[in-house]
Amino acid sequence: MFKLSLNQLIENCKNEDTKAQGELYKLYSGKLFAICLKYSRNYAEAQDNLQDAFLTIFKKIEQYKHKGSFEGWIKRITVNTVLQRYRNEKVFDIINENTIEDEEVEVDEDELSIDYLLKIIQELPDRYRLIFNLYVLDGYSHKDIAKMLEINIGTSKSNLARARQILKQTIENHRITQRSHSF
Amino acid sequence: MSDKKHIDRLFQEGFKDFEAAPNDAVWATIEAKLNEKKKKRRIIPIWWRYAGVAALLVVLVTIGSLFFNDTEKNTTNQVVDTENKIPEYNRTRENNRPIINTVDTPVIVSNKANENGTNTNTDTLTKEAVIRTNSTNPSNNIVVSKSTSSKSNNLKASNKTNTFNINNSTNIANTVSKEKRKTSSLQNSLKNTKQVASTPEETNTDNKLNTETPVVSKEKAKTRIEEAAKKETAIANSNSNSTSNEEKKDSQTAVLKLENNKRSIEDALEDTEEIAGNKETPNNKWRVAPNAAPVYFNTLNEGSSIDPQFNSNSKSGEINMSYGISASYAVTKKLSVRSGINRVNLGYNTNDVVVFQSVGLSSKTSALQNVNARGNSSDADGVSLISSENLNANASDSFAASNGSINQALGYIEIPLEIQYTLSDRKFGVNLIGGFSSFFLNSNEIFSEEQNGTRTYLGEASNINNISYSANLGMGLNYKVTKTFDLNLEPIFKYQFNTFNNTSGNFSPFFIGVYTGFSIKF
Repeated sequence: MFKLSLNQLIENCKNEDTKAQGELYKLYSGKLFAICLKYSRNYAEAQDNLQDAFLTIFKKIEQYKHKGSFEGWIKRITVNTVLQRYRNEKVFDIINENTIEDEEVEVDEDELSIDYLLKIIQELPDRYRLIFNLYVLDGYSHKDIAKMLEINIGTSKSNLARARQILKQTIENHRITQRSHSF
Repeated sequence: MSDKKHIDRLFQEGFKDFEAAPNDAVWATIEAKLNEKKKKRRIIPIWWRYAGVAALLVVLVTIGSLFFNDTEKNTTNQVVDTENKIPEYNRTRENNRPIINTVDTPVIVSNKANENGTNTNTDTLTKEAVIRTNSTNPSNNIVVSKSTSSKSNNLKASNKTNTFNINNSTNIANTVSKEKRKTSSLQNSLKNTKQVASTPEETNTDNKLNTETPVVSKEKAKTRIEEAAKKETAIANSNSNSTSNEEKKDSQTAVLKLENNKRSIEDALEDTEEIAGNKETPNNKWRVAPNAAPVYFNTLNEGSSIDPQFNSNSKSGEINMSYGISASYAVTKKLSVRSGINRVNLGYNTNDVVVFQSVGLSSKTSALQNVNARGNSSDADGVSLISSENLNANASDSFAASNGSINQALGYIEIPLEIQYTLSDRKFGVNLIGGFSSFFLNSNEIFSEEQNGTRTYLGEASNINNISYSANLGMGLNYKVTKTFDLNLEPIFKYQFNTFNNTSGNFSPFFIGVYTGFSIKF
C-alpha cells in the first residue's frame, strides 16, 4: 500500500501538486537532513543544503522514471547538492597534499554519542569531511569520489587516511579530557 | 575498554539509521519558493506567447516590407523600360500594365469616334455647301474639290487639290489663298500649339497619349481648323451671308459634340480605371493570416461539467490564449472561404468550493462524478471537494472557512471552416464571419485551488469528448496597410456543441476570442 501511494505521490509531485510535495518532504526530510548534517560544516548550513536539495528534487522529479530506488535517487541528489555548494566555494584546493600511508586506525570501543560523532565530523576540514562521509558512511569508491570532487584517486585515499587520523586523535583527546574530568 | 575497533566501523555503526528532523522553517521556505516558481511559471508562458507572437509579427513585417520595397524598385524600373520587356515582369507590373493598355485603346476608339463624328459633320456640311454652292456657283469643279478636301481631313491635301483647281480658274486660286490665310489666323486664335495645328495628321497616327486633355484639345483644334477651312471655302464659294451663318451654327454644334466626346472620353477613362481596379482583386484571391487571440471561456446557463453539486455555484471564465494560422480563398469579390489551424486553451473556475483533507471520509463521498483520478486514486494525498452550499446545510461552520475553487483546463487543436462576407472593402474594411469549427482535445486537467494558492491536481475530466464542434459568428475589421498586407481584428463568438457528454444542469459552454493578426494576399 505504501509503495503504491509512493508512486502516486511521485506522479502528483510531477504535476507540481503542493500537497504531494509536502507529503514527500515529510517522508524523506529526516533521512536527507541526516545526510546534510554529516556533509555540512554546521546545523545552519545543513538546513540550507536540505532546502536546496528539496528544491532540486522537485525540479528534477519529472526526470525520475521509476527505475531504481527513489530513496537512492533523492539521496544522490542531496549529496550532489552539498558537493556542488562546496565545489562552488572552491574549498577543495586549499589543503596541502602530503600523501600518507593508509594504516589501520583503531580506537577503543566506547560509548560515544551520535551528537559527538557528528560534531567531530563537522569539525573536519571540508575535503576530509566530504571524503570520509562518501567513502566510510555512504560507500562510494575512491574512483567515484575522485570523479565527484574532481581530484585524483591518490588524493582521495591520502585525504581519507588523514581524516581517520584526525578523528582518532580527536576521540583520544576527548577521552583523556573526560578521564581527567572524572578523576 | 581494551577492545579496539576500526574507526570506520565506529562511525558506520553510529550513523546507522541516523535521522534528524529539520526545523519547520525549512519546509516553509521551500514551500514559499515553490509557490513563487509556480507563479512565475504561470506568468512567463503567457508573456512568452505574447513575445512570440510579437516576434513573429516583426519578422513577417520585415520580410513583408522587404518584399514591398522590391516591387517599388521594379515599378520604377518599369517606367524606364521599353514595352517589350514588360512581360518579363508580369507579376509586379500587373498594377500598372492594365492601365496602360486600357488607356490606349479607348483613346484610339474615341479618336475614331471623334473622326467619324467630325467626318459626318463635315459631310453634311459639305453636302449643304454643295447644294448651296450648286445653286449659287456655276462651277461644279470647285465643289468637288472642296468636298474631297473636307472628307480627307487633310488641309495640305485640300490645299493641293485647291492648287490643282487653280489651273482651272484663277478665281478659285484667290479663294484658296484666302483660305490659307484665314486658317493660319485661326491657328493662332486657337489655344493649341503650332505643331498640332500644322500637322493634324499626327493626332490620328500617333496615339501614344497618356492624358485626356491633349487628346481632346488636339481633336478640337483639328476639327475646328477643318470647320474653319470648310467655312472659309464655303464662304468663299457661296459668297452668301445666310449660308455662312448656318455654317457657323453647324460649327458650334460640332464643338458641342466635341464637348460631349470629351466627356465620353473621361467616362471611358474612368471605366478603364475601374476595370483595372477590378482586375487586381481576382489576382489576390489567396490570403494567409497568422493570428493570436485572448479567449474567454464560460457557460451560458447554470450547470456543471464536473459534478451536479456544483450546478448553482458561480463560474468564472478564464482568459487564455489561442494562436494559429488561417488561409482564405476569395470565391467572389465579396465572399471568401477560409480555414486554418489553431491551438486553443480554455479554462474556467467553479467557485465557492470547500477543499479539505478527506481523512475521515470514505472515497465515495469525496469522488466527483466526472473526474477520473490519474493513476490509482486522486485521494492518495487526501483532498476532497464539496460545494460550500451543501456544506453549509449539513456541516459545522468551521469547514466553511477554507473557500477554494475547482479549475478545469482544456486544450484543443481547432480547425475552423468559415465564410467571410465583405460589407465594406475600403481602406478600412468590415466583414461578417460565420461558420463552424472542429475541436480535437489535446489536454484535459482538473485542479483544486485553495485560497492560499495551493494547487492540487485532481485528475482529468472523464466526460470530455475527443472531438467537438462549435458554431462561430463574428465580425472582421481590417485595415489595408498596402494592397497585399492587411491588419486584422476579429472578435468571434463560438458556441460549443458536443464538448461534454455528461454534464449536469444546463451547462452550455462558449468562448469569445478577439483574433488579432495580419494577412498577406497573393
